[in-house]
Amino acid sequence: MAKMVADSSSLILLAKCSLLEIVCDLFDVIVPKSVNIEVASEDLVKNYPDAALISDLTSKGAIKVQSPGSDRLTLPVSLHKGEEDALLLAIKLGRSLFITDDGKAIKAARFFKVPFIVTPKIVVELFRLQKISFKKARESLEKLGKIGRYSPEIIADALVSLMERKNGKTNNHKDTRRPFK
Amino acid sequence: MAKPTTIRIPEDLLNEIDRFVQESKLDRSAYLREVLRKGFSLDKQDRLLLKYVRKELSQMEVCKELKWNPWEFLTQLKTRNLYLNVELEDWLDAAELPP
Repeated sequence: MAKMVADSSSLILLAKCSLLEIVCDLFDVIVPKSVNIEVASEDLVKNYPDAALISDLTSKGAIKVQSPGSDRLTLPVSLHKGEEDALLLAIKLGRSLFITDDGKAIKAARFFKVPFIVTPKIVVELFRLQKISFKKARESLEKLGKIGRYSPEIIADALVSLMERKNGKTNNHKDTRRPFK
Repeated sequence: MAKPTTIRIPEDLLNEIDRFVQESKLDRSAYLREVLRKGFSLDKQDRLLLKYVRKELSQMEVCKELKWNPWEFLTQLKTRNLYLNVELEDWLDAAELPP
């Protein structure tokens, strides 16, 4: 099973667009302890149903909590502990995908040449891999726009990409995509 | 404990504040303290979110500074009609999922 290391921004968005469980079924989803505390502390679980879902998936072992170790990175930009730990964990695990929806964390991932993925791309990819229906994918993208505060520009491009996948056409931006190996 | 400080305020603004404080039967010092606290809080939020949009701060760095939890962050963006700081280039550059 391919490994994916998530930070708080992506765990929240995956939960909000109802895709966290399926992603946990298909991949080894790993988070550092700091991320787990950021999104699913005892207080948050009481007040946010999606925080309770994350806590539940963690206690079932569907989301694995792993330490990034004590080594620190010399980052090109500052990050908060959870974001930094998640990136460090992705580097340490090797051949893992870093899931983040934070522009600054993406900047750091690019610096270390760590393959990253953003939630709208996960949605389109899950449809391409025939793991979710077109309807589910479209609804998830719409939620990412409305609740997830993704820019209309990205959501529009993701919807076009989704339609192209549905119609069996090649994405116009294929040359810019990086396959995860 | 409150500490004294001195600032220069334009006369017309000071007159308007004094008039309002009198009409509303408010304590002038207490009112000015409250306005300063409210204004500072809002301005700090706006400035830190602007830094987030410019990718000078990450989502969790903003949350830490403003004592927000990450679940609250999206609501705060919505209130201000702001979007995540992920750019089109990031979406286009993102890896594919392994089969």
